[in-house]
Amino acid sequence: MKRREFLKNTVVLANAAAFGGRTYGAQQASVPCTVTLLPMPDYGRDMEKEIAAIMAGDGLALKGKKVLLKPNFVESHPERPINTNPSVIAGVAHACLRLGAAQVIVGEASGHRRDPWFSVLNPSLRSILDKKVRCVDLNHGDAVAVPNKGGLTGLPHFYLAKPVAEADVLISLPKMKTHHWVGVTMCLKNLFGVLPGIYYGWPKNLLHYRGIERSILDLARTVKVHYSIIDGVVGMEGDGPIMGKAKPVGALVLSPFPLAADSTAARLMGFDPQKIFYLVQAGRFLQGLRQQDVVIRGERPGRFATRFDCLEEFKGMRGGPFF
Amino acid sequence: MASDSNLGYNDDVMERFASETAALVERLRSFSLLDGGLPYYRDNASAAEPTLLAALALSVSGAPAERAKPLLAWAQKLQNPDGSVGVDPGHRDQGVWLTALAAIVLHHFGLAENAKRALDFLISMRSVTGPKDPRLRQDDTLTGWPWVPGTFGWVEPTAWSLIALRLSGLGGHPRAEEGARFLWDRQIPSGGWNYGNPALDGKELLPFWDTTGLTLVALHGHGDPKRVGASLELMEKNQGKIESLSGLSWAVLCLQGYGRDAGRSRVRLLDVMGSLRDEEFHAGNFALGLIALSGKKVLIP
Repeated sequence: MKRREFLKNTVVLANAAAFGGRTYGAQQASVPCTVTLLPMPDYGRDMEKEIAAIMAGDGLALKGKKVLLKPNFVESHPERPINTNPSVIAGVAHACLRLGAAQVIVGEASGHRRDPWFSVLNPSLRSILDKKVRCVDLNHGDAVAVPNKGGLTGLPHFYLAKPVAEADVLISLPKMKTHHWVGVTMCLKNLFGVLPGIYYGWPKNLLHYRGIERSILDLARTVKVHYSIIDGVVGMEGDGPIMGKAKPVGALVLSPFPLAADSTAARLMGFDPQKIFYLVQAGRFLQGLRQQDVVIRGERPGRFATRFDCLEEFKGMRGGPFF
Repeated sequence: MASDSNLGYNDDVMERFASETAALVERLRSFSLLDGGLPYYRDNASAAEPTLLAALALSVSGAPAERAKPLLAWAQKLQNPDGSVGVDPGHRDQGVWLTALAAIVLHHFGLAENAKRALDFLISMRSVTGPKDPRLRQDDTLTGWPWVPGTFGWVEPTAWSLIALRLSGLGGHPRAEEGARFLWDRQIPSGGWNYGNPALDGKELLPFWDTTGLTLVALHGHGDPKRVGASLELMEKNQGKIESLSGLSWAVLCLQGYGRDAGRSRVRLLDVMGSLRDEEFHAGNFALGLIALSGKKVLIP
């Protein structure tokens, strides 16, 4: 499907009836969703203690738990900030150990790269992780069929990588990026990487075929994300999520509410989440879409607010200033 | 041990391979499970891909024939009535792109009836096509093979399927011919292949070592050799930069297949295979490494 066709379909999908008669009802009621902005001017700083303090402050209980960290390693390119930076992954992994996690796994089912060396088994990541942290290639291995709780794609099940299905706590660790099909990609879109490639292929064309936005929404209904940390130290603008350019923002965005994290990050990027279709739809079953529902802690957001360059098709999603 | 004096490697490399192969084979076999199959990684259940590749690896590494039997028996039991082979016994209808690899391995071991059924299924599995779009650098009217039935065609399943058909004497089948055209069409103009698109939004994409090696193997001897020139040069020139087990295995397989110097990749592959820790031990890729080191051209059509 070409982008123009995709966008046309997206407009059609904006009519709830086009979701096959299935809708998610009204927007979630207003509740305060905490989002913390942690200043991080570069990747050289040890962030373990600060991240642990914020996660604990948000009530994330990890003692004795199996924790799965899901970074984004969709593709590998030596000159582009496509993936979650290894130092962020290490900082979060070590923060989880500090908070008493019994097991910490860094797992990813890379969307484009079948070779796990280009994903979580890369020495650049493994060499900086505590030996107690395991790196697991989720593309190849056991999977568990779980019922699709969304139903927008028509897929009866999702085959989740077993370590994801068995984790007590799932922490999404995406990169702050624009996306050439859906506008932005962060915590919710990052869920594509819990599905093994041996079931879905490289790329996960079945999900594209069934509709990227429908797939994001079905996954967001089916897979609970317990905590989200967006790597916005250096994001990607323009023709993301692969072909764009580096965009330094200098912050991590942390929240127990994935939609609040995504919406806040979108505002920092200069996009209005209420104009991003899949975020609006997710607001029907997740909290944190609207700015008035979000309580920002840590650094003041105006310090990081910027304007990500984007493809022409997505300029209509821009908004702000929000801060 | 399957040393091959025609490979042109110096004696040190061959001697080292000869002395280390048995240990590498035993390490692969140590992943065998009681049901007869092999998992991708330790603590997982048996899966089709590592099991099939391990059977082939044992065969070309000179292991006694009976050692491959449990693997083959496991794979045969996994075959569905329609000839397809899926991920594992719990998910037999998923990942049927693996049928191509099954056809290759079943054919290699002379299991003609199983191989034929697998090939029949492969011939029936078609990728979705689309109209030709002059704005794109690829021809979406060409039929290849998908990862998942009912979706678009991609480089890797098309390359595996083409190898299966060509090794089985079906290289002249219209599906094989069109599959080859599909792969030629997806070649990145400056050389190599990635997962499927030569370019995105007008910009060339990066070639991948694994898909480039696999596709070069699939297209070996097909059409004008000049057409693979840039891709072969790319692989040969960059072999010193490849560090992964999968990438090195495919570099060795394709460069050996085309009679090019794969010496550096071969030495590096031995190093990598000898130093893998359990958590990074992908049994399918390890088996592929053994096939590459054997020098036997079992995947070259």
